Parts: sequence; C-alpha cells; structure tokens
Amino acid sequence: MSAQKPTRGSGRLKDSEKRKIVDDSTRRRRFRRMLELLESDNYQEDPHADLVMSKKLPKFDDEPEQRSTRTKKKERTAEYYQNKYRKSFEQMVEEDRIDAEKNGRPSYLEAEARSTDFVARKFCNVCGFFSKYTCVTCGIRYCSIRCMTIHQETRCLKWTA
Amino acid sequence: MKMNETIEFDMVDIKRQRIDNKNHIYGRRYDKPKMKNKSENPEDEFVDESRTVIIDSGAYTIKTELASKNEPMLIPNCIMKAKAERKRLFIGNQIDECRDCSGLFYLLPCERGYITKWEVQKPIWDQVFNKTLCPVNDKHVLMTQPLFNFKNIQDCTDEIFFEEYEISSLYRCNPTDLVALKYGLERGMRRETCLVVDSGYSFTHIVPYINGKKCSNGIRRLQIGGKMLTNHMKDILSYRQYHVMEETYVINQVKEDTCFVSENFQNDLKIASEGASKNHIVRNYILPDFNTIRRGYISDPDRIKDMHENCQVLRLNNERFAVPEILFTPSDIGINSVGIVDCLIDSIKLCPRTYHDALARNIVVVGGNALLPGFKNRLMKELQSRMPAKWVVDITVPEKSTIYAWQGGKSFLKQHGSVEKFVTKKEYDEFGSSGIQRRFNEWKTFQEEESTKEVEMKQISLIDHVNKLNVFSRQEDLVDQVDSIEQKELSQSYVLDGSVTSNKSLSALEEGSTPGLLNLFDDKNAVLTPPPSEKSSEISICSESMSKMKSSQEENLQVKYFFQNEDSEEENPLNLDFI
Repeated sequence: MSAQKPTRGSGRLKDSEKRKIVDDSTRRRRFRRMLELLESDNYQEDPHADLVMSKKLPKFDDEPEQRSTRTKKKERTAEYYQNKYRKSFEQMVEEDRIDAEKNGRPSYLEAEARSTDFVARKFCNVCGFFSKYTCVTCGIRYCSIRCMTIHQETRCLKWTA
Repeated sequence: MKMNETIEFDMVDIKRQRIDNKNHIYGRRYDKPKMKNKSENPEDEFVDESRTVIIDSGAYTIKTELASKNEPMLIPNCIMKAKAERKRLFIGNQIDECRDCSGLFYLLPCERGYITKWEVQKPIWDQVFNKTLCPVNDKHVLMTQPLFNFKNIQDCTDEIFFEEYEISSLYRCNPTDLVALKYGLERGMRRETCLVVDSGYSFTHIVPYINGKKCSNGIRRLQIGGKMLTNHMKDILSYRQYHVMEETYVINQVKEDTCFVSENFQNDLKIASEGASKNHIVRNYILPDFNTIRRGYISDPDRIKDMHENCQVLRLNNERFAVPEILFTPSDIGINSVGIVDCLIDSIKLCPRTYHDALARNIVVVGGNALLPGFKNRLMKELQSRMPAKWVVDITVPEKSTIYAWQGGKSFLKQHGSVEKFVTKKEYDEFGSSGIQRRFNEWKTFQEEESTKEVEMKQISLIDHVNKLNVFSRQEDLVDQVDSIEQKELSQSYVLDGSVTSNKSLSALEEGSTPGLLNLFDDKNAVLTPPPSEKSSEISICSESMSKMKSSQEENLQVKYFFQNEDSEEENPLNLDFI
C-alpha cells in the first residue's frame, strides 16, 4: 500500500480509502480462476514430485509372469501411445468441428447448453444465504455486517494487494 | 457340437414333413427359406455371454465385468498417490489397499470427460484388462464411449484393444444408447422413444431417442457434473470451516453422504437459516481420521456424547442442497448457462413435434448424480410447471443408476442382430481404425424425418384436410407457430411435387405461406399428436380419418403415425410390421 498521511478519523473510512476498486478485467480473471478450480483434478502439488523413482525396479511384482502370454512385439509402453496420440483437448474439438462440417453432423460445440436468459440469484459468499449487498471493492456479495467483516478480512484482500 | 446340430436339423426336417402331411397351410410357413436360415446356426445369432466383456468406461469409474455376470465391478478410473505411502502408486481399485486416504493426489486420464492423458489411462487399462481382474484377450468387447467422442481417442482405443489386448471383436457405442435400449425393453417398447439424461462425473448429457434411433441434433450437454460439485463443495467448506482443498476423496464421500436436491430451494434456505430447534437440515458430519474412523458418517444427535474425543466435525447446513443446486441453476456460481431443466426442454424442442409428448412421458435419468435424493422429484416438479398441462411427464430414475448402462449392455447382447454390429479383429486388420469407426458412430438428425413426413402427407389431397378440419377442434397448446423456414419448405415441396390432383388445391398450395394453409398443417399436427388424456377419442378419430384415405399406401402411412405416437405398451403385431 502506498504511504498514507497520518490523519485523525474513522478507522473504517481510512481502510476503505486504502482499498482500490478492482477493475473488470481482474474480476474476470478471478472468475476464470474459479472455473479452473472447479475443473481441476487436484489442488495440491504432486506429493511425489520430489521423489526420484528408481526405474530399474519393476513397479509391480506380478507383471513379468502375467504378461508373458502376450507376444513381446505387441507390448507397448504408455509413452508410445502418449506420443502417438498426443493432442490437446482444444485441438480435438477443432478437428471435430471440421469433421462435423464436412459430414453434416452436429459437432461437440453445438451440443453445448445455451446461456441463460435470467438474472443470476445472489448469494452471500461467506455464509451461502441470499445476499443483499455487494462489496464495493471487489464485487463479491455478502449479506450482513458480520459477513462483510469476514469477507474483508479474508477474501477481499486477496484481490486488492 | 456339430454332430448335435445336424441331428437337431434332421429333427426339424422330420417335424416339418409331419406337419406338412397334416396341414398344408402350416407347411407353407415352414417352407420359407428365411425361417430355415435363421435356425441353421442359432449360435451365431447371439453373442456368447461368457466370452464377452462389457465395459462402461466412465471418467470416474470403469464399470466392467463378463456379460454372464449380474453386476459389474466399479473400478476408479484414476491413479492415486497417497501422502502416507510414498514410492507407491495406487492404480484403479488398488486404492482399497491404501489405509490413509487423506490428501490423495489424483491422476485422471480424462479432461472434461474425454481421454487426453494416455500415460495415465494406459496403466489403468493394463491393470484392469490385461491382468487377472477382467482379462479381455480373445474376448468380444462391448465398450462405451462418451457422446461426440473424438476420432483421435477412438483411434488410440482401437489400437490398444485390438493390437495390444488382442480382443477378438469390438463394438463401441454411447452409454445412453444402452440406457435407452434397456429402458425401452423394460417398458415393452420395441423401438424406444425416450429422453435419456446422463448426469455423470464430467458433464450431464441429454439425449433424445426416437424409435430406437438417437436424435443427434437434439443432444444437449451441460458442462456440470459430479466433479464440479465436489470441487465447489471443497471450495466453500474450505472457506467456511476447515481447509479441505486437498481432501477430494473425503469431500466426495461427504457429498455422497449428505447432499440432496432441494424440492423448494427458497423454503429450504429459509429453514437452514433458522435456529437449531427449527432447522431439520443441519447435520454434523464426522470426518474420517484414517486411524479409528475409516469412513466419515453423519453423527447421531442423540448420541453426541459417545463420539470420539478428538474427531473433527463438519457442520453442514445450506451446503447440503446448495451444492447440487448448481445442476439446476448454474448461474448461482456465476456460470452463464441454463440448468438441467432448460436443457431438457431445449432437447425436446429440437426433436420433431410429433414426438414431443412421447419424449416427455419417457424420461430416464442415469449417472452418479441421479443418486442424489430428491433429484427425481425436483425434476418432475420443474418440468411439469414448464410443459403443457395436458402432457404427462414421467421420469424414471433406476435404483442403481450408475450401473444401468452396463446392464443395458447385457440387454444389447440379447438383441437379435447385435452380433453383426461387432467388428472383428480381421476387419480391423483389413480396414484399420478409421475404416471401422463408421460402424460405431451413428449420426441421425431427425429434421429429415419431418421433411419426409411432409412429402408423404402431400399425397393426401386437400379435401382430406378439410374433412379433418371439420372433425377436430383446434387444440391451442399443441398448435405452435410454424417457423418461417418450415413454411417455405412446405410451399416449395408442394409445387415441386406436382402430384397434387386438383387445380384448386394446387393453387391453394402455391400460396403456401398464407396463414390459411398453415392452419391446415397445424391441424394436421394436432391429429398426429393428440394429448394422452384424450386417448379414447384419439383412436376413434384416427380410424375415422383412416377410412377416408383412398389409397392403401396412404392408409399405411396414417397407421404408422398413429402407432409411433402410441406408447406401444400393448404389444401390437401391426406396429412391428410398419416400423
């Protein structure tokens, strides 16, 4: 925070002066981050990331016998498939779109649910009940002074620093 | 085996001759070569169940087992890493061996329901299909794939299963196909017309089926599934109570144990805001500590003193129903998309109008989210308030909604001709992955169906329509406005056809876009989709109009429409012939 002149007065007002209002693009970014979080597989980092696995050791004891019925030539590692069929999700959606256009069938994108016509209901971010008020700084909803204080002490600050 | 067969067929021959001697009329039936061909190799008609594996491959669990078994195994489709046990991966059902499931790290092969990480999927499949769990080598495999499965994924799947696992034949279809089939059989429909709602881990699909065919243009996808619900629950609980962001495994159990779909959201929210005496929604959930408590549970309020001293308690109040509410109103968490109910209605609207009420009457909900208590009632309540009052909305939620598709696979194998759908190893070797995929992906848009129907209706002269006008009163809620494109198509097809008999009607038809003719067609629709409440009158109406038809061809058509509309609960032989 920038340096403030030492003045007398209400602490709450002083606080609110300190806060800058979060602009639209930051709010959008926050929303995108929330969506990513909802789609994410894990929140934490890989707990084994720092482990160096010994590649010489077989991972499963029963592997050699179980697989011996198969011809050795046909056995392929996961990396083989990963490299051969490595394509990002977006790439595949695009290919599907082109193929659908060619064959006159509906594509993956067309099946997406349409956007809603209604205004969203508003919920308090803190306690989950209906809310009446909006945080001036960041636009998140809260329902009472109690929730407002909690919000300002926790989440709101995250986006203003 | 062969010996037996030949003997059997001799018997048949003898039998045939005997009947021939007795009765010539019956004898003629036996002479039909078709009958003889069918009975020649009865083994080929059905797939050998003990040699067939059904795999319902979901993003969260793989449901797999031999077709001869009654229920599948549920195997988590992920690799997990535990905090406590380093140097070890838990692949699929190996997680049962893990004692401390706190802070599990997931490696999921799917991204938004489609396999993208083969380095994860391959070891899981190896674990399940290549070893003792459910070996697939030299077996027939019936496998499911998500709707709109991408070609790249199909190529890789084919390669792995045919070349590495060495299966003898493969058929792939959407899980909803199997659900529709099973539902149809349960309801005694030969060609099912139903709306399948599959609410799974990654997304919720709504798929209409018309006369046993998937209506591809009516498919709707809601990008909300169990994963999102769990993640959202993690997020709000972490903010409000404990930091549980890393406990996906535990919170998923919390969701399964405590969440329900509210039938009256506003009311329930009000109850949740009340004090403890009036609030019957609030629950205390004992979290597992993986020491004395293996799995969390809802604490009994009467026995609160018996609880363990140090256990952690999660207080669940409005979270219990606010989390599943996202399925119905995604805008609650800022996702700008319609809820599941609007998706359902959109999907019905995209189908030909003739089938609208039949679809509304046959809704089947499957998938993990269907297990949430209250799901069916909420859906029913909202749908009924949104549909014409005369329509009967009926929703079926199977008890075991997660394995319903797998069970549908069993029914699929029992169908005649299902064996022909399988692609053998030989065919794969010959045509390659791209060559065989056409047999797995059926696309049928039902707009065409409607246009062909119009062509068929052309042959009926205008006088018939006028007659019908007198017979039927206009039914307001069935007669929607025909959109302008449809109008144009109508008028054009009439002029082009030229099979219209009288000059008078032709001139009337050329003015196809005039409201007069449109009304006529609306009335036609009213004939074709009578509301189920007027069943008795409908039958008499149809027979009356049928008698007015001149040519036999037209009569056939009319009968066909009639029976398609009918939810063919009564087994009618006519029905089978015409469709």
